[in-house]
Amino acid sequence: MAVDLIQIQNLKTYFFQGKGVLSKWFGQGLKVVHAVDDVSLTIKKGSTFGLVGESGCGKSTLGLSVFRLVEPTEGKILFHGNDVVKMNSAELRTFRQNAQLIFQDQFGCLNPRMTVGQIIAEPLMLRDGKQARQEDIADEVAELLSAVNLDPDAAVKFPNEFSGGQARRIGVSRAIALKPEFIMADEPTSGLDISTAATVLNLMQDLQDQMDITYLWVSHNLNQVKYMADDMAVMYLGKVVEMGQTKEVFHQRAHPYTRALISAVPQVDTDQQKETIFLEGEIPSPINPPSGCYFRTRCPHVFERCKQEEPPLTDLGGDHFCACHLHSHH
Amino acid sequence: MSEPLLEVSNLTLDYNLGGRKMRALDRINFTLEKGEVLGVAGESGCGKSTLGLAILRLLPRVAEIRRGAVFFKGTDLLKLSEEQMELEIRGQEITMIFQNPQNALNPVFKIETQMTDILRVQDRNQNPGSRKRHQHYRKQAIERLKLTGIADPEARVSNYPFEFSGGMKQRVMIGMALSSGTSLLLADEATTALDVTIEAQINKLIIDLAAEYGISVLYVTHNLGVLAEMADKIMIMYAGRIFEMGEKEMLFGSPRHPYSAALLESLPSRQKKGRRLLSIPGFVPPLDRLPKGCSFHPRCVFAEDICRKQVPPLTEVASGHWSACLLDQKRGRQKWQWT
Repeated sequence: MAVDLIQIQNLKTYFFQGKGVLSKWFGQGLKVVHAVDDVSLTIKKGSTFGLVGESGCGKSTLGLSVFRLVEPTEGKILFHGNDVVKMNSAELRTFRQNAQLIFQDQFGCLNPRMTVGQIIAEPLMLRDGKQARQEDIADEVAELLSAVNLDPDAAVKFPNEFSGGQARRIGVSRAIALKPEFIMADEPTSGLDISTAATVLNLMQDLQDQMDITYLWVSHNLNQVKYMADDMAVMYLGKVVEMGQTKEVFHQRAHPYTRALISAVPQVDTDQQKETIFLEGEIPSPINPPSGCYFRTRCPHVFERCKQEEPPLTDLGGDHFCACHLHSHH
Repeated sequence: MSEPLLEVSNLTLDYNLGGRKMRALDRINFTLEKGEVLGVAGESGCGKSTLGLAILRLLPRVAEIRRGAVFFKGTDLLKLSEEQMELEIRGQEITMIFQNPQNALNPVFKIETQMTDILRVQDRNQNPGSRKRHQHYRKQAIERLKLTGIADPEARVSNYPFEFSGGMKQRVMIGMALSSGTSLLLADEATTALDVTIEAQINKLIIDLAAEYGISVLYVTHNLGVLAEMADKIMIMYAGRIFEMGEKEMLFGSPRHPYSAALLESLPSRQKKGRRLLSIPGFVPPLDRLPKGCSFHPRCVFAEDICRKQVPPLTEVASGHWSACLLDQKRGRQKWQWT
């Protein structure tokens, strides 16, 4: 039986606009952006959890909230049962050794003035503190570089000497330096060519098998999530609208948004009968979300109740959840 | 047989960078019929964007066209004067939409100003001496916005670009690109920066408008899935050369070039969970250090001696299906099994 590594319970992360002096003088009210709005989900140890949705749906904010790189407004994040939100700075330090990030911008997250060796050594030095010994760390760096199929000579080069795919692998090697249990990967193949992306995906799967890493896989690429993730959640305007095992979600597509999202993904195999559902309009502003169901302004199945009541996330059976009035039985 | 709208023949182009010569396009040959959508795909640096820019002659100064011709409606665009290109071709007959609509619109001018400017220039180029009022062009601009599916165009036309979302800005760009005389639209990664549901909307808009007005489209992208849904014909490029070209169904169904087969094998959508994706060994060679013979041979697991010596010509391997691989004859109908 798989152990639950991370349990997110009723997490809310709000951003406040108009807190500044100018807004006070000019009398503008406080605006609240509901970036993550009451999200609960569980990630099992050793699995990959895919988080999908369009830009601005809050998927990256949710990921950052787990690390408290963005302070959550409310809710709990349990890591091995300990609440990350309540941790003090010392506990947080230990937690962050165990949980790492891979960022979307493969060059932006590497300091251009440090050699690759220094970049990867930094977390190791911090771990060892005063006991750090140069030779040991150099050995470890070489090991980490070969773990991501880079030449150990890469340690003396600077990030700009590498291609996009290689820079991404340097980011991966830094993330695995402290042998974390958990890694959040935010769009880990964005900006990479097809065959380079395949190399990175293969590498990350190998590392998962070898080191029993749990991934939170944030992406808008549904083909990739289908291929990588065991479980997944679909987010829309800060809320989870559907969640379950990846194959169930892709098979049943219970929520109209999931259906539209999956149908919009371009597929190479055109022989499969596929009808794209075109959604009208765009995502509403998270400052002024619509009443009732947030998706109703674009939903092809909208009816009266959707305007008045917000649909709760209900269990469709088999740990498959969906928030839509079409599935409520009363 | 009617003549094709666009015929690129033997187009060869170098970039001269500080004494280094890089062949960005090497003997490019293809035709595009009226109303046809041709998808161009390939990895970064394969020359797919250069191809679009070469057709419009919008290349940087370091580029030098060595050989070849670009026949558009029977006229060689490379022989026209710069003035003729500007007056008759660019933005009139052939228009282009780019990847980043954010950078293509000027942030300090209203959409109205930017659209009417273009409409006025187009009008005066077509009817010299035309002196119409601003209101006339403004009305046209509103019509264009309506055509591209922007809600409430009368009000939106007076907005600034920052008041539009990415998808709406791309709609504005399409509205600006389609003049009454457009017959060829070049789209360079036009939807790469957009979300999937918006991407689907924009691609549908391009296809619908193209079909309605009989416009041909050269659609450049690295996303093979998008091409599978949009294009009639596909062209796969690698290191400045065409490797394979043909009808979509043929090319995706039974690719004749090992590189195309490999690209399709490395897509997660084709692979079952848990099975490894194909990753092509090695990397795309820099253009000034292309290997001898077939430029793909160091990465190709099927390569034989002949591949290291001879440059494979693009040959018609089946009716309307072209491939540049020396082993094709020998191989026959056998599939390229990479894994």
